Amino acid sequence: MGTQKVELREALRQAIDEEMERDSAVFVMGEEVAEYNGAYKVTKGMLDKWGPERIRDTPIAELGFLGMGVGAAMTGMRPIVEVMSWNFSFVAADQIISNAAKMYYMSGNRFSVPMVIRGPNGAAAQVSSQHSHCVENLYGNLPGLIIVAPSNAYDAKGLLKSSIRNNNPVLFLENELDYGTAMEIPTEEYLVPIGKANVVRKGSDLTIVSHSRMVNLCANAAKELAKLGIQVELIDLRTIRPLDIATIAESVRHTNACVVVEEGHIFGGMGAEVGMQVMEHCFDYLDAPVERVCQKDTPMPYSKVLEKETMPTVERVVKAALKAKNRL
Amino acid sequence: MGNTDTLETSGFFRSDEEAVLKQVGKEALLEDLRWMLLIRNLEIRAESAYQQGKVGGFFHAYIGQEAVQTSILRVMGREQWYTTSYRCHALALLLGASPNEIMAEFYGRETGNAKGRGGSMHLFTDRLLGGHGIVGGQIPVATGAALTLKLQGNTEGVSVCFIGDGAVAQGAFHESLNIASLWDLPCIYVIENNQWGMGTAVGRAISVERIAEAKASGYNMQAYTFDGMDYFNCHAGFSHVFQEVRKTQRPVLVEVITERFRGHSISDPGLYRSKEDLQKVVKRDPIFRLRDKLMEAGVIDEEQFKSMDKEQKQICVDAMKFAEESPWPDPITLEEDVLAP
Repeated sequence: MGTQKVELREALRQAIDEEMERDSAVFVMGEEVAEYNGAYKVTKGMLDKWGPERIRDTPIAELGFLGMGVGAAMTGMRPIVEVMSWNFSFVAADQIISNAAKMYYMSGNRFSVPMVIRGPNGAAAQVSSQHSHCVENLYGNLPGLIIVAPSNAYDAKGLLKSSIRNNNPVLFLENELDYGTAMEIPTEEYLVPIGKANVVRKGSDLTIVSHSRMVNLCANAAKELAKLGIQVELIDLRTIRPLDIATIAESVRHTNACVVVEEGHIFGGMGAEVGMQVMEHCFDYLDAPVERVCQKDTPMPYSKVLEKETMPTVERVVKAALKAKNRL
Repeated sequence: MGNTDTLETSGFFRSDEEAVLKQVGKEALLEDLRWMLLIRNLEIRAESAYQQGKVGGFFHAYIGQEAVQTSILRVMGREQWYTTSYRCHALALLLGASPNEIMAEFYGRETGNAKGRGGSMHLFTDRLLGGHGIVGGQIPVATGAALTLKLQGNTEGVSVCFIGDGAVAQGAFHESLNIASLWDLPCIYVIENNQWGMGTAVGRAISVERIAEAKASGYNMQAYTFDGMDYFNCHAGFSHVFQEVRKTQRPVLVEVITERFRGHSISDPGLYRSKEDLQKVVKRDPIFRLRDKLMEAGVIDEEQFKSMDKEQKQICVDAMKFAEESPWPDPITLEEDVLAP
């Protein structure tokens, strides 16, 4: 099997392109996706290839076009709706929460909503309070949604293809700072299944659970911890909902310690959810309470110095790990 | 010529009762009178079931507005996409949901239209994209259905979106109409102006009168205003609009001026409307108006009307029995179908 070195944005583009080839019901709409070639160039060249019917530029009207995605999905299409930033999804929250998430159940199984909403999530570099939110903790509260958050190009492509084929609304969370990260991926077609976490690094002393951009941060923390004699087992969730608690629990049962690391806010976040589920499933195996490293309880500040202070860092992860190993 | 003068002076779409009568035919008109009586009886029965504690939650009656959706179904048929608000009982019936399944849904039973999950506000059929509970939330959905028609190259079909006058104030209205016009989508937006957004009179919520006519030019769309209490005017108007949208592949904005006879929902005693005003409104009952015209035309007499009404009432009484005797949903099914396979 051949490989190709591609940036994450190109991996996403390939996923969309292949699925559009495979299924004529798939189409793309969003702000700047066509003539501008995508705000982050994920849809570069696609207007030329597929034309304006299937690659549709929308006005700046998230509530309108996200809701139209729901309606199109209910009536036979498979829309991929790009949000330029997940922060902009808040003006369309009613369509995601009241319609997309609930439609299949509420309609007595009459109408499913096979729709992907994708775009960059979380902080970029110094974009301040209104452009830096992680939405997984907000939307993760809702049954009826699938939430996917890849950390690398390989997973991004395989998971996006699976998401487009899924018959449910999938919130696909990317990160602006990751779009340019390159990686060797297969040239041949492949899928990555939704709902399956990935053990990125094997280890016997401590389980670190993370997702999206924080996985790389945790990999660096794991190297530091190895120097201190702590072998980390690093789990990349890949899918937030449904949560692969089985993979997490299996790991914690042999490491007996757990740290959850996320970019989002601490209150009611992934750390709280995973930590609670670890307690439910692994209480007797834990040598110490589960620790969590999250964004601190502040809006995102603009200044570099303050931004760094609120975000998880390698140092904070190492410190949490030492605590979870009763060494601090 | 019946009330043609009134129509003209009221500025409604110009229509000719006799022409509609000929075009639709006596059989179909009788059938539509029967539909309107079925809608009316089903809601009256359901209200009594509500008072008995058999039905819970919110319950928004369509009573007084029956001519609107009955006429549109006669004109456009069941092949179109339809979307509406929580005031959805009539549309579900007209689109083929049985009185039994609707009543069973009100009762929260397993045999209900949405398996007892949706209740009164969320009825569906294969062409009804819901019963939507958030004011204006259905407008982008209906617009998306129109986009599907366009992407599929279907130039015969239309997407019909019913909204209340209150929803005009929502952002979803503006965003959807702008895109529908920009993209040439075959969507017919029907504002059913029943004069009230819950307890707030339309004049206290919407900055213009003749809503469609005032708003449409801002979206480069055609606008029409119909008398929602008059089956004939609605039929003529919707016939025109249906032809126009299929020909132009452009969206259209319609306002039907109507009145709901009940409160916003069953828990609303309607204290904001005087008894005298309500009595005036009830005199314009669309069912009696259609009945009187059909009597005048010799299609039906008083006795036949009474017996038709009685038959519909019986269907609804039977539906209550069906609902009452239907099993409750098995709690074991609670977590099924949160996600589609």
